[in-house]
Amino acid sequence: MLSSRALVRGLQSGLWRRVSTTSGMKAAHAQDLDVIDCSVPQYNNRRDTPLPDVPFVQNLNAEQKKLKEKEKGPWTNLTKEEKLALYRLSHELSYAEMKKGSDEWKTVIGGVFFFLGFTGLLVWWQRAYVFGDVPRTLSPEWIEMQTKRMLDMRVNPVGGFSAKWDYEKNQWK
Amino acid sequence: MAHPSQLGFQDAASPVMEELLHFHDHALMIVFLISTLVLYIIVAMVTAKVTNKYIIDSQEIEIVWTVLPAVILTLIALPSLRILYLMDEINDPHLTVKAMGHQWYWSYEYTDYENLGFDSYMIPTQDLSPGQFRLLETDHRMVVPMESPIRVLVSAEDVLHSWAVPALGVKMDGVPGRLNQTAFIASRPGVFYGQCSEICGANHSFMPIVVEAVPLEHFENWSSLMLEDA
Repeated sequence: MLSSRALVRGLQSGLWRRVSTTSGMKAAHAQDLDVIDCSVPQYNNRRDTPLPDVPFVQNLNAEQKKLKEKEKGPWTNLTKEEKLALYRLSHELSYAEMKKGSDEWKTVIGGVFFFLGFTGLLVWWQRAYVFGDVPRTLSPEWIEMQTKRMLDMRVNPVGGFSAKWDYEKNQWK
Repeated sequence: MAHPSQLGFQDAASPVMEELLHFHDHALMIVFLISTLVLYIIVAMVTAKVTNKYIIDSQEIEIVWTVLPAVILTLIALPSLRILYLMDEINDPHLTVKAMGHQWYWSYEYTDYENLGFDSYMIPTQDLSPGQFRLLETDHRMVVPMESPIRVLVSAEDVLHSWAVPALGVKMDGVPGRLNQTAFIASRPGVFYGQCSEICGANHSFMPIVVEAVPLEHFENWSSLMLEDA
């Protein structure tokens, strides 16, 4: 069945997850969660919600509960590590981690250049092996005579072609 | 004709084309202004560092961005309609020429005074004289007196064609069984090139139009010569 769990999981864990994730959406959850219960308030990592609806770690073990009790006292009594631990209890990612972005752009630029180069290869091959000669009206001698004729005919004399030719001095302006 | 790597219009050879050029400048300026504004807004939104999640509505800006586009559209529409009616003015032409489209050449009939008619085939590339323009030259040109209003009646003998000369600001479809009228005044002497502008079969790209505007004497000499040759 196309929608079997195994297939979905395989796709998600492979190429498609990396390809389909944008840096904005990644911040909502750091890891893709298998099942999200949307009937209860969710935690999220978003720059515009500094205080999500619920803390990140909701089921505290004994040690974490003790830290929470200590938090109720004056905060000057907390060590730096304890403050960081409390932060990580209520938030999964810091702002710096949220804003970091990814290295995906390097893959994209690399891919673009690769395909541009490949196209260039195809174009060169076409010109060398497929296309015939251009018409004789594109030879330098013909172009010279044609240009002279266009100037004699005063083609586009106002602002275009013949306007750029100095008829007295017989040269381009 | 166009010069190499030309991007814009050819220089106008008739008063109507001049008007069209100026209108195009006007409309394009408005388009550039709007595009610049939109591009700036997009960049500002994408690079903004903070987000306002609590906007519900805003009556003032909605009014502005409804009224302002209406004003801009009026500013585009008024000159446009002016030119449209200008092109349809009653103009008392000095000469009437019938341009008939065939597969794959044009034929011109000058029947005001005598019965002058001739076909105008493209000169194939291998038959060009050095310096001639590929795919644009014809064996016979439609010669008209300069600085005179000319009426052109365009039709077709088989399938749809379209008679177009960009430098004169003229394009008119040739429909079999129908006479379409257009007019122009060639403000300066010269040779003006155009190409068939309605798909008409295998050689649609190879039936060009060449209009040669000359002083009246030269036109009279030419038409006498053409009548003798016929």
